[in-house]
Amino acid sequence: MPPRVDKEKCDGCKAEEETLCEQVCPGDLMTLGENKKAYCRQPRDCWDCMSCTKICPVGAIETRMPYQLGYHGAKLIPMMGTDNITWTCVDIHGNVERFRYKNRVEPE
Amino acid sequence: MDKIIPKIGIIIWNQGGRLSQAINLDALVKKFTKAKNVACCEIVEELWTTAFFDSLKNSAENKQVDRFLWIGRFTPYQMKYIKGPLAAAGLNPYLHEWMDLEDQGICLKETEPEIRAAKAATLIQMAIARTRLLEPLEPMELPASDAILIIGAGIAGLHAAESLSALGKRVYLVEKESGVGGKVALLSRFYPRICDPHCGLEFTLQKLGESDHVEFHTLSKVQALSGSPGNFMATVIKTPRFVSETKCNACGECLAVCPKEIPGLYPVSDNLKAIHPPIPMPFPPAFAIEREHCPPECRECEKICPAKAVDLNQMPSEEQIPIGAVLITTGWDLYPLSAVEEYGYGRFDNIISNLEMEQLLSSHGRRLTHPAKLSLSDLKEVGFIQCAGSRDERHLPYCSSVCCSATLKQILYFKELVPDASCYVFYQHIRTSGFDEDLYRKARELGNVTFVRERPAKVEHDNHQGKLNITVLDPLLDKKIHLNLDLLVLAGGMCPSGGSKETAQILNLPQNQYQFFESHLQCHPEESQRTGIYVGGSCREPMNVSQSIDSSHRSAMQALKYLEGTVRIEPTYPVVNKTKCDQCKRCMEECPFSSFVFDEKGFPTPDLARCRQCGNCMGICPLAVISLNNNTIKQLAVQIEAVNASFMGKNEPVILALLCENDAHKAARAAVDQGLPVPPNAIVIKVSCAGSVNNAIVADALSLGIDGILIAGCKDDQCHYIKGSQLVQKRSGDLSDKLKTMMIEPERVRFVNLEIRDAHKYVDVLNTYIKDLKGMGPNPFKI
Repeated sequence: MPPRVDKEKCDGCKAEEETLCEQVCPGDLMTLGENKKAYCRQPRDCWDCMSCTKICPVGAIETRMPYQLGYHGAKLIPMMGTDNITWTCVDIHGNVERFRYKNRVEPE
Repeated sequence: MDKIIPKIGIIIWNQGGRLSQAINLDALVKKFTKAKNVACCEIVEELWTTAFFDSLKNSAENKQVDRFLWIGRFTPYQMKYIKGPLAAAGLNPYLHEWMDLEDQGICLKETEPEIRAAKAATLIQMAIARTRLLEPLEPMELPASDAILIIGAGIAGLHAAESLSALGKRVYLVEKESGVGGKVALLSRFYPRICDPHCGLEFTLQKLGESDHVEFHTLSKVQALSGSPGNFMATVIKTPRFVSETKCNACGECLAVCPKEIPGLYPVSDNLKAIHPPIPMPFPPAFAIEREHCPPECRECEKICPAKAVDLNQMPSEEQIPIGAVLITTGWDLYPLSAVEEYGYGRFDNIISNLEMEQLLSSHGRRLTHPAKLSLSDLKEVGFIQCAGSRDERHLPYCSSVCCSATLKQILYFKELVPDASCYVFYQHIRTSGFDEDLYRKARELGNVTFVRERPAKVEHDNHQGKLNITVLDPLLDKKIHLNLDLLVLAGGMCPSGGSKETAQILNLPQNQYQFFESHLQCHPEESQRTGIYVGGSCREPMNVSQSIDSSHRSAMQALKYLEGTVRIEPTYPVVNKTKCDQCKRCMEECPFSSFVFDEKGFPTPDLARCRQCGNCMGICPLAVISLNNNTIKQLAVQIEAVNASFMGKNEPVILALLCENDAHKAARAAVDQGLPVPPNAIVIKVSCAGSVNNAIVADALSLGIDGILIAGCKDDQCHYIKGSQLVQKRSGDLSDKLKTMMIEPERVRFVNLEIRDAHKYVDVLNTYIKDLKGMGPNPFKI
């Protein structure tokens, strides 16, 4: 399921040439619309990698749970820390599971 | 470079037993002596002995210790006193970390001893983590110019130029008119002494003319400004004067032959010739030609000029001027009075502005060149309408502050010239603050000056008599008065000059809601929010002459630091990690001082001379790759990682309080000092501005099981860094929304405004937050 952009929140990365979601999308699917808000221009090509969701500085992008992982109503939300990422997974029954990973390792 | 293995010396200063009474220091020493990277940990009773300092120096010299963590309450003076001798022993002064246990409520007797001990241990653990990552730093010195560019050669600019040149600084004065003096040169008198402003201006100009340090650029404008404070480069465009400034000696022969008459500045002013002495003051003395008025092919002035100074083929020229700082004194303009339609300015004869009245007053004793023009001695009944445009929501909502005094001054002088005239002042309130009250008193004592506390309801022109019919309701007599006036003077308000608006655009300077230059009026009135660019005089707010001279001097004083040949940069500036930065440019966009520029590879990088080191970029960066030196995101992250969230026991929530060092942190400290019952649940981390808190830090803290994050800073419009609070509120609001989707209570991140003396409010805020957090239950990430 493609990313959904909250139009209220998206600030088009302050009108820079290339928004962060545009830069990070491996399929080059995110782009700015005429209203200066980001959107996914080819929803069918989205792989649900969630890179855009993770990088959005204002938390405007939400990825709906891909069908392989759960039915409608389930969601997976990342929260980025300095060297870690925290995932919250909510399944269709409303059960919540949370896990935290280090995703940046620096040499000792 | 080899990785430095830190060797931390922990010194716990017992402060005469204050700490040891509260907690068991020996247990702490025992715990931390063996900690990773700790070289030694000791309790010191007597800090200020030579023996102790010698032992410190020894351990620094022998490289047993390469950085210190000081635990206890140290004043800035004491910190300096400690850093000095150790720097002499070879220890970099930036390798000290200070941790005040008392600030965190360790000595508060209300708190249970076990909690205090556990909290002290976690705080020291945090401080050690932070100290490990300190880097040795060196202040930088950038070369700087000793010249300043002053835009606007009105009275504020001229006086600042005089003082700066007397200090040996090179001054470039840029003025768009052909002559200097600005609005003050158009006045006939100024108060409080009711003397002729040309006297003071000539005096200043003489000194400026004699100085080797001052260069005048008249008929010029700044077109661009590049570079950074200390090393700006200004592009100045000069429109042709058509008369050589060096050759012309203002003999005036050309005036007799010039065939073209052009109107003066105002309808009441004398007419001019197309070639004329500079306006408003004949300085520099060389005449100027307004070529657009010249008859085609006319060369009369060129032919007659004995000095061969006329050059009708002059072209515009451009000059690059290297400077260290810019002072803007572009002044004010009169509010366009034709917009105040009800008073008939521009529609009827004999209605003039207060600036025109000045021209009229200064025409006294001179032959009027134009017989149809107003003559002072014919005026018997003169009305003055105050607040024409000012204090009016449809026009200027503010009070222009000088017009009351200016009108009274005009009345005093006018009555001196025409003693039998009657004056009427129509006003809302007479605002003559300070000693200006004297003018008001004198005007009332003069006789034949009537003050009517209402502005005219109707102004009509009587075509037969050529007079003005005024209808006004006098609220004191409670009846309508009809007056027949010879002249009506409108006290127009002050608005930013066209030059101010243009300069704001070219130099990208923020303006306030009235289009005056924005500045932090109480604390840094001189600053334009762009480092190295200062504003003075009435381009900042309406001011009278003496205030604007004062203010331009204050600005000049501040500008001096960029005119000293070098600019010293504290090494705690922000650094962008370019291996991780993806050039989103949000830092450039949101830096309150616009101090980010592109480096040669297209990465944003702070211009160190402009940067105020507030750390907002650090908070803004979506990838958390900007850090202030020795106050890095990494340091904050390890500090948070070191928090042992169980120090409060099972059922009590733990709060991480990120407090702005300018006020919220001081409020928290005051709460402890005043002995208020500060709940122990909060761990306080001081940040340079609430806006420097990155969401990644907050996410870290939440995911590590801290129950609530409190961010506190100034009120929106009080932030020293302009918009730090606003930015962090927006970001923490975004994060709260995300928490909601994560099925976590959004209130786990909370922003509050705390002012510097809000000690009681701080305690209330904590108590409410603790209560709310208890209601929410523990953070789901708590292990």
